[in-house]
Parts: sequence; structure tokens; C-alpha cells
Amino acid sequence: MIGSLGPLDPIGRIPTRQQTRVAAFLISAHGALARQLAFTLPRQMSASWQTELNAQFYRESEIVSLLVRATSWTVDLEIPMLVASWEVAWLPRPVSGLSDRALASTIDVAALGHAVHGAIRPAALLPDKALAQDPFVMALRRIEFESGRMIQAQILFLKGQDLLPYRDAVNTAVEDRHRQVRDLWGDMLKGIGVERGASGQAVPSTIPRHEPNP
Amino acid sequence: MPFLAHGSYRIRYELEGPDDGPAYVLVNGLTQYAELWAGYRTALVARGFRVATFDLLGQGASDKPSLFVSQDDQVTALGLLIDQLGRRPIFLGGISFGGLIALRYAIACSHRLAGLVAMSSFAELSPQLLLLGNALRTGLILGGTSYLQDLLLPMNLSDAWLGPQLANLEAVKRQGWLTNDVYALQNLMESFLDFQPITPQLGAIAVPTMILNGEFDFLTPRSLHESLRLHIPDSALVIIPHAYHAFTLEKAELTADLLARFAEDVLAGKWKGGKSVWIAPDEAGGALVPFPSDQDHLRAIPRATVPT
Repeated sequence: MIGSLGPLDPIGRIPTRQQTRVAAFLISAHGALARQLAFTLPRQMSASWQTELNAQFYRESEIVSLLVRATSWTVDLEIPMLVASWEVAWLPRPVSGLSDRALASTIDVAALGHAVHGAIRPAALLPDKALAQDPFVMALRRIEFESGRMIQAQILFLKGQDLLPYRDAVNTAVEDRHRQVRDLWGDMLKGIGVERGASGQAVPSTIPRHEPNP
Repeated sequence: MPFLAHGSYRIRYELEGPDDGPAYVLVNGLTQYAELWAGYRTALVARGFRVATFDLLGQGASDKPSLFVSQDDQVTALGLLIDQLGRRPIFLGGISFGGLIALRYAIACSHRLAGLVAMSSFAELSPQLLLLGNALRTGLILGGTSYLQDLLLPMNLSDAWLGPQLANLEAVKRQGWLTNDVYALQNLMESFLDFQPITPQLGAIAVPTMILNGEFDFLTPRSLHESLRLHIPDSALVIIPHAYHAFTLEKAELTADLLARFAEDVLAGKWKGGKSVWIAPDEAGGALVPFPSDQDHLRAIPRATVPT
């Protein structure tokens, strides 16, 4: 078991079985977010952050479309069962401590979005020698980069003044979704021979030695 | 890999060195992780210290709170680690953000410490630092960890260090990029949103304190260290020649030596703070030289000291 995808083929491409599993997982997660945003958006037209949500809806759809095109797919008989279990996991959950069901469902969508964009780092799985111009490699890099931007919509909402009275409930909802997404992502990776570190990320192949930051 | 528990969160730490004798606790900067102190562990253990390092909440292998992490949480985590060391002389050192956490701990729990080393640290956000912090946060949001690294590398390290690394820079960045998560870094940065200066409380630090400042530190310049020097009663400011903000990485051997000598002087009763100003040697083992008393250490251009 290693900390990154591979072994690479002679020109640096990711094995197709790994591509298939990773892409299926990401399509399931980002597809679920796109669908849930589509239902949530009409209720939030007066919210200041609905501009971000609107953009996010299209970016989630773009991720799904990108992965469908960029992945070298192969037959994987376990995928139907796995996808079914993932789809169940993304279903809306109640947020404990909140009686306003509309608000609770919006918080849950945001919590899931925060977890999917924050806890999943697909580009961190790429080995140093992965072929930079390979469509799947480029797709994973783009998804991770875009996730860092998209999570801002969730952060704006979840940390916003409107939700301050519900801070504990919101925090619990987000932590729960993070735990769930990390576990599912980790299990999927384990199924293709990739080990997670203590923080839930793939284990780096080298020990970091430099970080010249404040 | 041992962990401490702070509520539902886990804090990863490491202890190394003899069970008896004094201890050093080292606190990471904002985007760092415990492994970066590896060279310090080796050097300080060789000089008889027990060394404790850890990942702050939101860093490395410690848990990364998804939405909220406060500086109080970090001070509590640091306290939990210090409690692991039992009753012995404890020296605490922190760099930048970690220096601020160390200062806050020292204000609250001076009695637990034998000495404090504040490196590239600050007790207040000057307008420059505030705006730089905001810009760095925006950089993180728009460009991710990699762009934040692009901003910090030239800001915090010298040409002498960067030059030989230029061909290898992507590899250097990748290691830090792997360890840091955007949302966790953003949470750490946003723990400054309600930051109140701790300068008025610095007088509560009742232990010898060495303040280390790189000669060319751009991010936290001399004036911020001067504020520490003036408000911490038993302090000395030591200027590291040719150094920038991240001198703990660039000049690790020299800095580890300064840390050890400071603690040895304190334990031997030879430490003389007195809000003095010193120039560190270029290499480990060299002599510290008093800053010329007739010159203004806040200026780059030679200027006579203005009497206060």
C-alpha cells in the first residue's frame, strides 16, 4: 500500500482502474452537490451569497463533465454497488438542534460542500512523475484548485453572521460531514491500494523539509 | 505517533531527549509542521535538552477543525504539551504565528517557564502587517496554497538560500503544499479577524526572554520586535545578520545554537536581559556582540540614538 496513485505506466499515466474508481467517486460527490444546489438555489435568491452558489452550481457540473471526458475508463464490476452506497451517503441529513427545516437543509448542503471541497484533495494523490499533460492528471489538478475556490461559498455562509446563533449546530454538522467524506474517500482509496495519513490525506512519499512561511 | 486530546480534537506531538534535565518546546509558524524542527531536535538533544514539538490545530497530522479554530485553542494545546513535561525547567520558543502563541502562553503561565524565545514574532498588527496578512489570505483564497507559497518564498528567504533552490523550487513547494489544506490554513489566518493587541499584557512575562529578529525581516520588521523588547521586563533583542523572516529554516544551525546558549545562560544564572540589543554571530558558536550603544538599531542608515 502506497501514499499515491500508481504505479504509473511507462509514460506516466495513472492505471485505468484507479482512474475509474477516483473519477466515479468524484462524479458522485460533485454530481450530488450540483443536484442539491439546483434545489437549494431557488430558495436563496435574496441571500447575498447566492451569487457564489450560482457559480458553484455550474462549476460542479463542469467537474462532472470534465471527469467523464478526461478519465480513461475501464470495466469495474464493483462500481455499481459503490456508487449506490456513495449516493445514499450524500442524501440530505437533519441538522441536530435546528427546528427550521429549510435552514437546516441549506446548512447540510453547505456542510457537504465544505467537506467535499476541503477534505478531498485529488491532486495530492498524484505522484511526482505523473504525466503533467495527461487529461486525467490535469483534471485532478483543476478539481483540487477549483475546490479551494468553491469552498469559499460554504465558508462565507457557514461562518456568516446569520448562523452565529447556531454556531455549535453548524460546527457539528460540518465536522460530521467531513468525517463521513474522509472515511468514504479513504475507503475508496484503500480499495485501489492507496494509504491515508493520520490527517486523512494521502501519505506524502517524502518528509517535508522546507516551508518558509510565517 | 502520540496525540494529545483537546476536546474532540487530536494534537500530534513528539518528545525526544533525556527524561531528566531541562526541556525545549518549539511552536510552528502558520504553514509549518513539526518535522521542520528535526534539525533543532538533534542539536538540542545533543546538548542535554528534552525537546517537544507538535502540530498546531489545523496543521500537519493534528486535527484540522473544519470551521473555527481560535488562538485560545492553540494556547490550550500548547499548555497540554507543556503539562506532559512535568516539573523541570522549560524553555519555550516559537516562530512568527507560533511566537505569538508562545507569547500568549507566557503571559498566562509565566510560572511554568524558565525562559522564552520569541522569533520573528509580534504582539500587535501594525497597519503593514494587517494589510500583508489580508493580502496573503486573499492570495490563499484565490490561488490556493501554491500561490501563498509563491508569495511567501521571496518575502521570507534570502537570495543566498533561494538561488541554489530555484531549479528545485516546485519540489520544495510540493512538500509544503501536500501538508497544508486550504480551509485549515484559512481558519488559522482567520483566527486574526478579532485579534486584539497583547502588547499591554507583555509585562506579565516574568521570565528571561530572548527576542530573535532577522536583520532584513520584511514581514515582521524591527519595530514589532522593538515593541516586545520594550514591554517584556527581562528581555534582550538579538538581531540575526543577513536573515529574513524564516531564519529558523535558513539558519537552523545558528539558531539552534542561540537557543541552547540562551537556556544554558539562564540555568547558570549568567543571563543578562535588561532590554539590551545584540548582534548574533554569522555562524554557530560565534560571539554575540552588543549593538553599538550610540547607534539606532531601528534604522538601516547609521543614525545616532535619539535619547528617550
